Amino acid sequence: MLWIRNGIVVDPKNKINAEKMDIFIKNGKIVEENEVKKEECKVIDASGKLVVAGGVDMHAHIAGSKINTGRTMRPEEMRVVRNIAGKFRATVGRVLLTAPAIGYEYAKMGYTTSFEAAQPPIGALHTHEELDAIPMIDKAALPVFGNWHLVFKCIEEKNMEKLKALVAWAIERSKGFGVKVVNPGGVEAWMYGGNVKSLDDQVPGFNVTPREIITWLIKANEELGLPHSVHLHCNNLGVPGNYQTTIESIKLAKGFSNAKRQVLHVTHVQFNAYAGSSWRDAGSGAAEIAKVVNSMDNVTIDMGQPIFGHATAMTGDAPFQFSLHKLIGARWSNKDTEVETGAGIVPIGYLPNNPVHALQWAIGLELGLLVDSNKVALTTDYPNGGPFTEYPYVMAMLMSKKMREGELSKVNAYVQKATGLASIDVEKTLYEVIHMTRSLPAKILGLENKGHLGIGADADIAIYNLNPLETDTSKEFEKVYKMFKSAEYTIKGGEIIVKGGELVKEVYGRTFWVDATKKADIQAVMPDIREYFNYYSVQLGNYGVEERWIKKPARIEVV
Amino acid sequence: MEDVICTFCGSVCDDGEFDTEKKKVKKFCRLGSSKFAEKQRIKAPMIDGKEVSYETAIEKAAEILANAKKPLLYGWASTANEAIRVGVLLAEKLGGVYDQCASVCHAPGTLAVIEEGLPGATLGSIKNRADVVIFWGANPAEAHPRHGLRYSISAKGLLVKDRKQRKVVVVDVRPTKTAKMADMFVQIKPGYDYAIISALRAIISGNAEVVPSEVGGVAKEKLIELAEIMKKAKYGAILYGLGVTQSRGRDRNVENAIKLIQLLNRTTRWVIWPMRGHYNVVGAGEVPAWEVGYQYAIDFSRGYPRFSPAEFSAVEVLKRKDCDAALIVASDPVAHFPKIAVKHLKQIPVIQIDPYPNMTTLLAKVVIPSAVYGIEAEGTAYRMDCIPLRVKKIIETSYWTDEKILEEILKRVEKLKG
Amino acid sequence: MAVVIKPKKFFEVCVEAELTPELALRSVDEVKKFKVYYGNKVVELGELFEVAKQGDEKKLILDGDFSRVKWIGARMVDGEIVVKGSVGANCGAFMRGGKITIEGNADDWLGIEMAGGEIIVKGNAGNLVGCAYYGDAVGMTAGKIVIEGNAGNYVGEKMNGGEIVIKGNAGDFIGTEMRAGVIEIHGSCGFVGGDMRGGEIRIKGSFELLPTFKKTEKGWVGDVNVKGEGVIKTF
Repeated sequence: MLWIRNGIVVDPKNKINAEKMDIFIKNGKIVEENEVKKEECKVIDASGKLVVAGGVDMHAHIAGSKINTGRTMRPEEMRVVRNIAGKFRATVGRVLLTAPAIGYEYAKMGYTTSFEAAQPPIGALHTHEELDAIPMIDKAALPVFGNWHLVFKCIEEKNMEKLKALVAWAIERSKGFGVKVVNPGGVEAWMYGGNVKSLDDQVPGFNVTPREIITWLIKANEELGLPHSVHLHCNNLGVPGNYQTTIESIKLAKGFSNAKRQVLHVTHVQFNAYAGSSWRDAGSGAAEIAKVVNSMDNVTIDMGQPIFGHATAMTGDAPFQFSLHKLIGARWSNKDTEVETGAGIVPIGYLPNNPVHALQWAIGLELGLLVDSNKVALTTDYPNGGPFTEYPYVMAMLMSKKMREGELSKVNAYVQKATGLASIDVEKTLYEVIHMTRSLPAKILGLENKGHLGIGADADIAIYNLNPLETDTSKEFEKVYKMFKSAEYTIKGGEIIVKGGELVKEVYGRTFWVDATKKADIQAVMPDIREYFNYYSVQLGNYGVEERWIKKPARIEVV
Repeated sequence: MEDVICTFCGSVCDDGEFDTEKKKVKKFCRLGSSKFAEKQRIKAPMIDGKEVSYETAIEKAAEILANAKKPLLYGWASTANEAIRVGVLLAEKLGGVYDQCASVCHAPGTLAVIEEGLPGATLGSIKNRADVVIFWGANPAEAHPRHGLRYSISAKGLLVKDRKQRKVVVVDVRPTKTAKMADMFVQIKPGYDYAIISALRAIISGNAEVVPSEVGGVAKEKLIELAEIMKKAKYGAILYGLGVTQSRGRDRNVENAIKLIQLLNRTTRWVIWPMRGHYNVVGAGEVPAWEVGYQYAIDFSRGYPRFSPAEFSAVEVLKRKDCDAALIVASDPVAHFPKIAVKHLKQIPVIQIDPYPNMTTLLAKVVIPSAVYGIEAEGTAYRMDCIPLRVKKIIETSYWTDEKILEEILKRVEKLKG
Repeated sequence: MAVVIKPKKFFEVCVEAELTPELALRSVDEVKKFKVYYGNKVVELGELFEVAKQGDEKKLILDGDFSRVKWIGARMVDGEIVVKGSVGANCGAFMRGGKITIEGNADDWLGIEMAGGEIIVKGNAGNLVGCAYYGDAVGMTAGKIVIEGNAGNYVGEKMNGGEIVIKGNAGDFIGTEMRAGVIEIHGSCGFVGGDMRGGEIRIKGSFELLPTFKKTEKGWVGDVNVKGEGVIKTF
C-alpha cells in the first residue's frame, strides 16, 4: 500500500488540472482513501511536485526482428554504455537500445507502457520473446495486415465475415493487440520492385486497391469492436507531395463512428506530411492535414517527431526503405515475409543544417502544435525519428515558443520558407502535454486503466520535481525539459521502480493481447487459411503463439 | 503426434510425424531421423569422470566459473532460446566471454551485415516467388536435405508453381550433389568468390569491357550468361554457404555479394540469405543481440558487453590463451576447432553441458547431461531465416533441460559473486 | 620523465591497459595506481607491473613481453611509447599524435582509425592494420604506420588518409574500400583495392588484381564498381 501525499495532480482524463491531492494505491491499483489503512502505507511526500499517470507510448519499435537486425547491423550504436552490470543489467545503446535498456530508459523518464507498432504475424513469437525481455513496462504488439494475401483475398471476394474472422484469428494467433496497416498494397508491389502511388492503384496481381484495403479493414475492426482502431502507416511515406495521399486516407474514416474512440489512427504523420514535388522544393503539408484532422471527430494521429542526431529507419514499408537506401547510400536490410508482409532497415541521422532534415523536424512540431491536443499523441516513431528518451524535448518545445525560437535559429533557414513553424504562436499547456503523452494515447489504444489516476486505474504513476503552480512552462523550458527527462519517482503497478531518476527495483510488466475470436465465425475463414498454408513454410499447427509461452500475458476479451 | 519439429539442421522442418510407441519419426530426412532415433547419451553428471548428482556437478561448475578471471561460454547453436538467454545472463554476471558456433561458420555473414545490411527474405517468400535460385558455396542436397523440396529447388509455391518455373544455379568449387540438380553449374577456382562477384557487378552495371576473359577459372562468356540470368529474374535469391564464409575473403565475399544484390534491386528483385547450419544457431545470435546488443564474440570483462570477433571469438580467445575456464553448451569444439585452440582447452577447467558424449566430453572436468530440445523438452528455436518455431516435448525424460541447469548455475554464481 | 614498465609475471589472461605517455608525467606511485583490467578484475598497474623512472621525456618504455596487453597507446595524442617486445591487440587505436615503436610483433587491429602520429613495428603485424572499427565508416585518416616485417590480411580497409608502409609481405584484401592515403608494400600480397574509391596502393612484389580495374598510364585505376579513382601500381 502506497500513499502519495500532497502532490499537485494533473489528470486530464478526470479533468483534474493542477490540484493538490492525495493518491492511494493498493494491489497495484489506485483506490479510494477508505480502502487503505494509512498506518500501513508507505508514504511518498509529493509536496510541490507534479503527479501524473505513467507515460504511454502508443507507437514505437521496441521488439522483434526489425530492431534486432538493426542492433546486429549497427555495433557502433551499441558502443554507448548506459549501465554497468550490478544490481541491474548491463545496458548499452545510443538510440537503438538493448531490451533491458528500453525498459530502464522508459522507466527513468516516467513512462510505464509502450506498444510495438509492427509485428509480422509469422514472426510473432520473436516479438513476444523480446517484449518479455523488456523489464519495467507494460507492452503489446500490433500485427500487420495491409499486404497479406489472405486479406486481399477476403476483400476481393467482398466477404466481410471472412475478413473479420481472419483478423480475429490472426490477432489471437499472434497474441497481438490490433490492426496495423503499413503502406497497404505497396509492400506486395515491392515484391516485384514496385510500389503503389495512389489510393486507387491496383495492387499488382490482385483485384484490390489501397482504398479498399483501408476501408475494409476499418469496417472489420469496427464490427469486431476491437479496443484500438485501425492503425495506419499511409502510402507514399517519405515522398514529397504525400500530404495529399495522407488527407485522402484520413477521409476514409468518414462514414464510420465509434462512441469511445477514433475509427482510424494515422501514425507518424510527419513522414507523410510533405508538400512539393521533389526534395528540392519540398514544403510542409502539416497545416492542411491539421485542418482536416481537426474537422473530423473520428481520426487521431501521432507526430513521428524527428530528433536531431542518430536514428535508424525501420518499417514494414519495404519499398520506402529501399528508396531511402538509394537516396543516401547507407546500409540496407530487407525482409520479405512469406505472403504476409515485408520490412526494411536503413541507418539515418538528422542534421540541423540539412534542409530536408530541418524541414522534417519543423513539420513534426507543426503537427503537434496545430492539431487539437485531443487528437495528436506525442511520438518519435522510435527509432525512425530518433530516441524516445527525447520525448521531454518535444514536450518542452510544444509548451514554449521561446524555446522554439532558440532552436529555429540553429537549423537550416529553409525551414522559415518551407514551413509555418516560426509564425505559430500556440503554446500547449502542461495539461495538454500530459494528455498527449498519457490519457490520449491510452484512449486511442482503448486502454481504460492506463493514462489516468482515477479510481480503478493501474497504479502506473510518475512524479516529477516540477511544481505546475509555480512553473511558467513557456519561459522555464530548460527546467521543464530536465525534470521530464528524469522522474523523481516512477511507480509501476504500485511498486516504486525509480527514485530520484535512478532505478531502484526491477519488475516485469504485462503483455496485453486482444481476443476477439468470439466476435467472428472463425470457421468461415479456416478453409481459406488451410489452403493458403500450402504456401507457407510452416505448418498451420505450428503457427502462432500460445498464451503460456508469454511471461505475463494479459488477455483482453472483446465481447 | 503431428507437426513435430526437427531440431537438427537450420531448415527446422516442422511437418514430422512421431510414433510415440515405436519412437520413430516419419517424413524427416536421414539427418533428422537419426536425431530422433535412440542414441548413446551421457548417463549422469560427472566430475573428473566420476558420476555425481546434478546438484554436486552444478555446484562445482559454479565454483569454477565464479573463480575464473575470464571464463569462455561457448556453443549454444543446438539448444533453445530459453537456455541461451540464461547463458547470456550468466556470461554477463561472470564478466566472461559469450561466443557461439557461428563464429566458426556463418559469423562472417554477420560482419557483412554490419557493412552493408541484409537484403533478405523468409524461406516462404523464396518458395512462393523465386524464379531463380543460386546456391553459392552451399550444398543443401547433403547439408540440408529437405531444403530443396520444402523451400527452394522443387518447392511448390503460390506464384512459382514448380521446378519447371524455377531456374536453379550452383556456384561451387566442385561439382556437388546439389550441382547435379541445377540448370547451370559454375565451377570456380577456390578463393575467387570475391573476384567473380566483382566481375558480375561490373557486367551488370555496364562495365563488362574491363572484365578480363577469365576470372577465377570462369570464362567471361559464362559470367555474362549468369549476369543475364540474374538481370532477367523476376525474383531471385542467392543462398550462400560455408564455401563463401569460410574460404578466402570470408566476410568480404558476403559483403560483395550483398552489394551485387543492392545493384540488382535497382532493376528487379533479389534477396540473399545464409544457409545456416545448426537448428538454432540463429537464436544463438538473436538472443544475445536483444539482451546485450551483439550476436557473438561478446566480452563482459568490464561489466558491459563489447564486441570484437578478432579478439573475443572462441578460437581467438583460445589461441591467445585469453580464458582460464570454459563452459561448453551443446557443442563439440574439440572436434571442430583448430589444434592450437584445443591445446588451450586442455589446459583449463572445462564444463560441458550436452545430451550426447563427444570429443569435448573426454577432456571436460565437469560433465552435465541434458534433455534434448524438440524431443524431451520444449523451447523456442529460430529457423535459418529467423522464423521462430516452438519445438516440442514428445517424450518424457529425467534429464534436466539446459535452461534449468544454467539457471541453477547462475543462482549459485550469484551467491558466490555476492 | 620517462616511465619504464615491466611485466612482473606471465599473465593468465590478457590484460587491458590503455597506457599512454601521459603516465610519464605522473609519479611512480601514481603510475602504480593506474587502473588496468586483468580479466574481469580491475587492478592497479603496480600489481602486475614493475614501474621505474628514467630520463625526463614524455615517454613510456614498455620493457618485456606485452603481447598479452591490449589497447596500449590507445587515444594517445603526443609523446612516445617504446615497446621492447611484442604488443597485444588494438595498439595505437584511435591515436592522434606521438610515436609508438614496437621492437617485436604487433597483434591485430594496430592503429585502428588512427588520425595522426607514427607507429613503427620492427617485427610483423597482424590483421586489420589501420582499419575502421566495427560499424564505423572510415578507417585511418592521417599519420604513418611502418611495418618492417610482414602484415596480415585486411590492411588499410576504408582508409581515408595517411600512409602505411610494409617492408615485407602483406596478406589478402589490402585497401578494400579505401578512399584516400597511401599503402606501400615492398613484398607481395593477395587481392588489392576491392571497391577502392581513391588513394594509392604501391606494390613491389606480386599481387592479385581484381577484374574491375582499368589499365592506364598511371597504373591500374578503379574500382569501376564504385566509379573509383584509386590507383594501384608497382614500383
